[in-house]
Amino acid sequence: MTTASKRPWLLRNINAKIAAMPMIFTTLVVFVGGTAWTVIYSFTNSKLLPRWQFVGLDQYERLWSNNRWLTSVENLALFGVFSLVLTITLGFLLAVLMDQKIRFEDTFRTIMLYPFALSFIVTGLVWQWILNPQFGIQHIVRSLGWETFTFDPLYNPDIVMFGLLIAGLWQGTGFVMCIMLAGLRGIDEDIWKASRVDGIPRWKTYLFVVIPMMRPVFITVLVITTSGIIKLYDLVIAQTSGGPGTASQVPAMYVYDYMFTAQNLGQGLAASTMMLLSVLIVLIPWAYLEFGGRRNG
Amino acid sequence: MARSVTSRRKSINTALAWGVGLIIFFPILWTILTSFKTEGDAIAYPPKFFFFDWTLENYAIVQERSNYMRYLWNSVIIAGGSTLLGVVIAVPAAWSMAFVPSKRTKDILMWMLSTKMLPAVGVLYPIYLMFIQLGLLDTRIGLVIVLMLINLPIIVWMLYTYFKEIPGEILEAARMDGATLKEEILYVLTPMAIPGIASTILLNIILAWNEAFWTLNLTAAKAGPLTAFIASYSSPEGLFYAKLSAASTMAIAPILILGWFSQKQLVRGLTFGAVK
Repeated sequence: MTTASKRPWLLRNINAKIAAMPMIFTTLVVFVGGTAWTVIYSFTNSKLLPRWQFVGLDQYERLWSNNRWLTSVENLALFGVFSLVLTITLGFLLAVLMDQKIRFEDTFRTIMLYPFALSFIVTGLVWQWILNPQFGIQHIVRSLGWETFTFDPLYNPDIVMFGLLIAGLWQGTGFVMCIMLAGLRGIDEDIWKASRVDGIPRWKTYLFVVIPMMRPVFITVLVITTSGIIKLYDLVIAQTSGGPGTASQVPAMYVYDYMFTAQNLGQGLAASTMMLLSVLIVLIPWAYLEFGGRRNG
Repeated sequence: MARSVTSRRKSINTALAWGVGLIIFFPILWTILTSFKTEGDAIAYPPKFFFFDWTLENYAIVQERSNYMRYLWNSVIIAGGSTLLGVVIAVPAAWSMAFVPSKRTKDILMWMLSTKMLPAVGVLYPIYLMFIQLGLLDTRIGLVIVLMLINLPIIVWMLYTYFKEIPGEILEAARMDGATLKEEILYVLTPMAIPGIASTILLNIILAWNEAFWTLNLTAAKAGPLTAFIASYSSPEGLFYAKLSAASTMAIAPILILGWFSQKQLVRGLTFGAVK
């Protein structure tokens, strides 16, 4: 250590720096470079091809007065809030259930994780079918004699986002459950002993002792799930393609359509800058909570 | 055994959990079953579970219509190639972060992981332009590079968590004995980290296999992997569910099988190392 610290900082642990170089270089070029490019060109009036003609905030003004964009943002907010609350609640409850020493636990866990291991494209297709009124749930319930039963979320603009939500929950709950379970297993058995000695009911122990202790786990799940929600794209493409009409449009589709179909690159870039911004809003507090405090301490 | 669970209680819990598991698994099971039905049986009421005329004709038709093998081969090359390339770049980086940490290691890791959370559309156009200029559009090599790049943060992060569990003294001992850096990583660290590297590879293959955003946008007929293959069946023109199921089954079968034989790695991998 003493010899190393006498050297200038650039040469200290030179091997380690060289080893990390390729990784840092690639991430830097692609993410920082690509993001900067996107942000800069969102201030231009590029149409089919990028053009260096600065128009200030024009694209953003147009963006926020575009109904389709507003619908997209609204849809994503609706989907996001429901899927966050439901995946985390269901995931936690399932984890608690699984923590009761059930049989064949490993197999069960794998089955619960299968949906998460499948592509969103397949998930979207399968659920498109299950929710199809002519063949799926509605058809089966009606055939059972309940003639007026109506359940056609993918064809009803008012509830189409809930059709997507069901598929999203199916996909993500098992994943949340597994992480939560790991958190539960990390809780010291002595906590349980102590709470039993004190005669505290189980549910109270979960609510007031275990959940606060699992704060880091909840934060991790929150960040991973939220960043996944903002990216929502493949599932919608496979399940509804944004329809009926524009009822299930999401921001990523808006970006894509303006970049490649509507040939209005500047507009698409402005929309994707907004998405980047919203991810940053989620990430910065997390980074601060996770890393800021520890470094100072 | 602190929390003693009676065996009756345990049976109830097990039944409950498996009920949930069955509901979760049902869509997958149904897709697989439907792929063996005729189109008529596929939409028949009451639904036929196991007693129908099992047929393989859907698979034959799907293969004939869209050349499944080519898509499968593309998927294998893209997922495998991007994973191997990623691991080669990530091992030295993870080594340096785990065993030679500096003041900034935490920041770099954090920054790197956060790039994984950024929406891909943010960098879609610059990469698209770069691809056109380099002639990489609709090529396997192009997709290998892109998928390697977007999954690299996850690979480094996973390897880092595994490497952290290896005592640094062993590496030091090797260094004392005169091992060079290359030897240290290749002959001391890598063999000890094999299980971790295996999980990382598995996770990354699954991520790359399922990747749809980039594969749909950067490929056309030539280099399209299985996600593109499935997407081509999703057009509403033909509601041929048995064929659609056959196509889906062929796309997910490799993952289901791979996952079944490596359950522990799958769970650890998919939860980013949080579950051991």
